[in-house]
Amino acid sequence: METLAFQGLVGLSLAMYLWLLAAGLTIVFGVLGILNFAHGSLFMLGAYFAFTFYGLWGINFWLAILLSLLTVGIVGYLMERLFLRHIYHLDHAFQLLLTFSFILIFDDVAKMVWGGVAKIPAMPSFFEGTFSVFGRLFPIYNIFIIGSGLLVALVLWLLFEKTWWGKIVRASASDREMASAIGVNIPTLFTGVFVLGAMLAALGGALGTPVRVVAPGIGAAMIIQAFIITVIGGLGNLKGAFVGAVIVGVLSAYGILLFPVFELFLIFVIMAIVLMVKPQGLFGG
Amino acid sequence: MKMKEIIRTEGLAKYFGEMAAVHEVNLTLQEGLFSSIIGPNGAGKTTLINLLSGYLLPDAGRIFFREADVTRTPPHKRVKMGISRSFQIMNIFPRLTVFQNILLPVLSRLNKNSRPFSALKNNKEAVEETEKILNEVWLWEEKDSPAGKLSHGGQRFLELGIAVAANPQLCFLDEPSSGMNPIERVNVLELVKKLSGERKTTFAIVEHDMDVVFSISDWIVVMNRGEILAEGKPEDIRNNREVRDIYLGEEI
Amino acid sequence: MKTLTILLLVVLLSLLPLFAGKYILYMTIHILLLSLFSLGFNLLFGFTGLLSFGQAGFYAVGAYACAKILLSVPSLLLGILGGVVMAGVISFLLGLLSIRHTRIYFSMLTLCFGMMIFSLAWKWRDMTGGDDGLVGIPRAPLEIPGLWKINIATMESYYYVVLVSSLLAIYIFYRLVNSPLGLTLQGIRDSETRAACVGISVRNYRLISFTIAGLYAGLAGALLPPLENTVAPTVAHWSHSAEPVLATLLGGIYSFAGPIVGSFLFYIIKDIIVRFTEYWLICLGVIVLVLVLGFRGGVASIFYGKGGRE
Repeated sequence: METLAFQGLVGLSLAMYLWLLAAGLTIVFGVLGILNFAHGSLFMLGAYFAFTFYGLWGINFWLAILLSLLTVGIVGYLMERLFLRHIYHLDHAFQLLLTFSFILIFDDVAKMVWGGVAKIPAMPSFFEGTFSVFGRLFPIYNIFIIGSGLLVALVLWLLFEKTWWGKIVRASASDREMASAIGVNIPTLFTGVFVLGAMLAALGGALGTPVRVVAPGIGAAMIIQAFIITVIGGLGNLKGAFVGAVIVGVLSAYGILLFPVFELFLIFVIMAIVLMVKPQGLFGG
Repeated sequence: MKMKEIIRTEGLAKYFGEMAAVHEVNLTLQEGLFSSIIGPNGAGKTTLINLLSGYLLPDAGRIFFREADVTRTPPHKRVKMGISRSFQIMNIFPRLTVFQNILLPVLSRLNKNSRPFSALKNNKEAVEETEKILNEVWLWEEKDSPAGKLSHGGQRFLELGIAVAANPQLCFLDEPSSGMNPIERVNVLELVKKLSGERKTTFAIVEHDMDVVFSISDWIVVMNRGEILAEGKPEDIRNNREVRDIYLGEEI
Repeated sequence: MKTLTILLLVVLLSLLPLFAGKYILYMTIHILLLSLFSLGFNLLFGFTGLLSFGQAGFYAVGAYACAKILLSVPSLLLGILGGVVMAGVISFLLGLLSIRHTRIYFSMLTLCFGMMIFSLAWKWRDMTGGDDGLVGIPRAPLEIPGLWKINIATMESYYYVVLVSSLLAIYIFYRLVNSPLGLTLQGIRDSETRAACVGISVRNYRLISFTIAGLYAGLAGALLPPLENTVAPTVAHWSHSAEPVLATLLGGIYSFAGPIVGSFLFYIIKDIIVRFTEYWLICLGVIVLVLVLGFRGGVASIFYGKGGRE
């Protein structure tokens, strides 16, 4: 019983990375209508930049996180303005293909700039240590991760429910023409939303640096799970993404514990079932 | 000879959220009579066509094609039963040639469109019929052009051609002259008149041009706010007070 | 003019073993396999309008089924046929589930199914050998029991097996796309609503297209194990699903020969690039980027112009 509870907690911290990744993905889809295959690459870049700033250049941990957010935000800005913007009018297939090409490009860029070797930098001193819970030792850093994820959820909720910008974004998501007609600058809005999504992904990657391996493949590994989460929760639905992330994270942790052989398979089965039965997701309308 | 009804609805309704796009519609169209459906914007004309052709499913009511209940029959099955339509927003096959645009519905009608190995040109019956239709709709010259490259007027002719290629008993044309300049408009409606005269198809069109409506129709159905306001022969409609009111002084 | 080129090409391919070494034959076999894989993919994408990211799953089914058969019964014919049939069955069943959805949901669902097959291949040690895969697969002789038996242990003779199978499959595919069935699929791609409104059952035809794509993927997959003597789970991974996507995009998604041309270009480019730099993915990514932004009809559109089919 205690093992299960502990594993649940492990799953919860895993879920937070997934949540950060899925949040950006689902927001971008909800507003721009684009499913960004390269979103996982932005996660990876966030991790690499954070590693460089914090692990290699010794910059203060918090500053390093912030810098990596900004850097990836710029990357996202360039991606949207220079490339994505030109293909909004095309068939979805070409949008998918374009974002897919970025996966290939970013993967090799990561290899070129940082080399293909996996790295794990040092843990910031104030997060070192463990916490005893359910009879086992739980890393303090993981608690920080869970806290951060919840904080981001709160901030996003406030952003979209309470702020003027958030309301405009939601209006544009549901009716682009109407929003444009009342004077909303749609292109700028799209760029802004895309950059927000990129920064969320980067945050997920950056926060993982002290505990997770930083390597070229991490984005690709997580993007599949992020797709699963956004599908389960409903494409464009933030609440759904959060719940979906928790479900997938916790199930993953249990799966590894209880069904190591078929854990991966199970998750895909769940995604397939949701896609077939309720494609709008558990929370989709 | 007694007129036979070809399509009939009972209490047909469709709601979008709170709004009733079509409400309590009891419509009967007679075979052989050229009918026009008119009404102000938002009256529910296109929704009605969508319901009758199977593109939308109703929230209430029934549709009978001859004696068969087709209320929930999917569009492709309704076509096989004899109901065809054209679209207000152009709906052709843009990457196929004009010839192929007509060939496909003809093959479908002949139930030959699933043959996996026969070369297209070897389907003699289908090819001949396609050529006939192309001539009927004045598109023989352009038969090898990609349909997407036709002029707007040409695409409208093609729309009509695709609609009649299924050799339907009942054909709905949703604003066949939409978006055209006066000259093109005359051409399209000439074509509709021609097709109506030459084929054993009952046409029902949605149209805004009143001159055309009154000159071409045997029967007019007036819709307003999702309901049928009035229906009858052109001269009855012309004299109908309520109809004149909704058109507010327009010369009809 | 076109027939002459094709004839020349076939003759060239047939005589290849006389003047080319093992490496070229090996490469050509891989180009042919990718061509078959891509033709099937493009029936779905370029001709029916459905983008599938999971075709590698069916390739893998074909490969593993053939491998398992060859490991118990050393008959090449049985192995290949078995692989194709299994792939067809699985693609039909998964197609039933996938075809009710379109566009993004369809693409995601196919990605999902492909990865499900991958995860099975990777973890199910007893059946698939797990991440080690299956090894020691014989290049079994081509035989019809009682009639004849041809030993095809050499690269040259296996090359001919692949060549003949490919030419046959390509010919069948050619007849398919130029038939009423092919026209119907293209109509569905151009306008799903219009197709329904001319009497076509869109769902049924999509399923047919999906199954044929699976059969071709299965054929390509089934021809692999006798070549490499091993099968590994990577053949089912989504990155492998990306290869026919890229090859077809390169060659031209709206043309019949596009996937074949694209497969050839894909290997040439890869071969050339890999000599100069290890960063082959970034070059591929840039190529796809350029294609999507400016040349969506691929190489074919450069030669034949845009709009309509050649």
